[in-house]
Amino acid sequence: MYGWIWRRLPGGTGARLAQMTILAVAVALLLWFLVYPWAAIHLPVDQSGLG
Amino acid sequence: MRGCVRLYLRAAGEILISLGVVVLGFMAYMYWGTAVREGSAQRTFVSELHQQWGSTGPSFAVLTDPDNLTPGQPFALMRIPRLGRSWQFAVVQGTGLPQLALGPGHVPGSALPGQVGNFAVAGHRVTAGNPFWSLPSLRAGDLVYVETIAGTYEYRVTGKPDLVSADDTAMLSPVPGHPGATPRQRLITLITCDPPWTGTNRIVVTGALVATLPRGPGIEG
Repeated sequence: MYGWIWRRLPGGTGARLAQMTILAVAVALLLWFLVYPWAAIHLPVDQSGLG
Repeated sequence: MRGCVRLYLRAAGEILISLGVVVLGFMAYMYWGTAVREGSAQRTFVSELHQQWGSTGPSFAVLTDPDNLTPGQPFALMRIPRLGRSWQFAVVQGTGLPQLALGPGHVPGSALPGQVGNFAVAGHRVTAGNPFWSLPSLRAGDLVYVETIAGTYEYRVTGKPDLVSADDTAMLSPVPGHPGATPRQRLITLITCDPPWTGTNRIVVTGALVATLPRGPGIEG
């Protein structure tokens, strides 16, 4: 999977590395600010209130 | 053919490892991420409370009648030295998820700090700053300070933490474990989820009032 992405990125090793990093950071931000907050509400993790 | 199998296996492995990292990230978010909103709410609560208590405006009436408390309203500061010198949370009224997301919540209908009966407080084990993460480490004799406009109430934990099922609410009644009985003691009950990350059981810690002090941290230093 990661090899497949790597081969499709343009440029040399340095440029590809930078692009991979940007992709990883983008995915991490997406998870942290959108996916996780959504999941926190919809998954039953310590989410039992009282009354 | 063999190369093909190897390719699929590698892809499957990469996907599984990635999913593992995503799940670990989710746990990190629950532990630290959800504390950001709670932390800013708590800072606001603490300064609001100090402002209210310092002024001559609202009277003790707020604290002698639970009906005057609106859901989400902070009204007390709780300190438990066993959980750390800096462990302090503003207690809000109500134990619904919107309230617990901002801090430990006072169980509606239970007594207020210092009153005869049971001052019951529920808090998240994980998420929202993990207020009661270490609740099971409390032991008999540990002190719990609850500061309100009327003074600081010093409670002493009376026994080891109890484990009850999530639907057992008898521990929250005025006489813990005996719903309907007439209370004589001034008690405190702290309750959270166990095991962490689940809603299967509840850890319950009970204490009794030992002193009423002038308003202040209660703890030396």
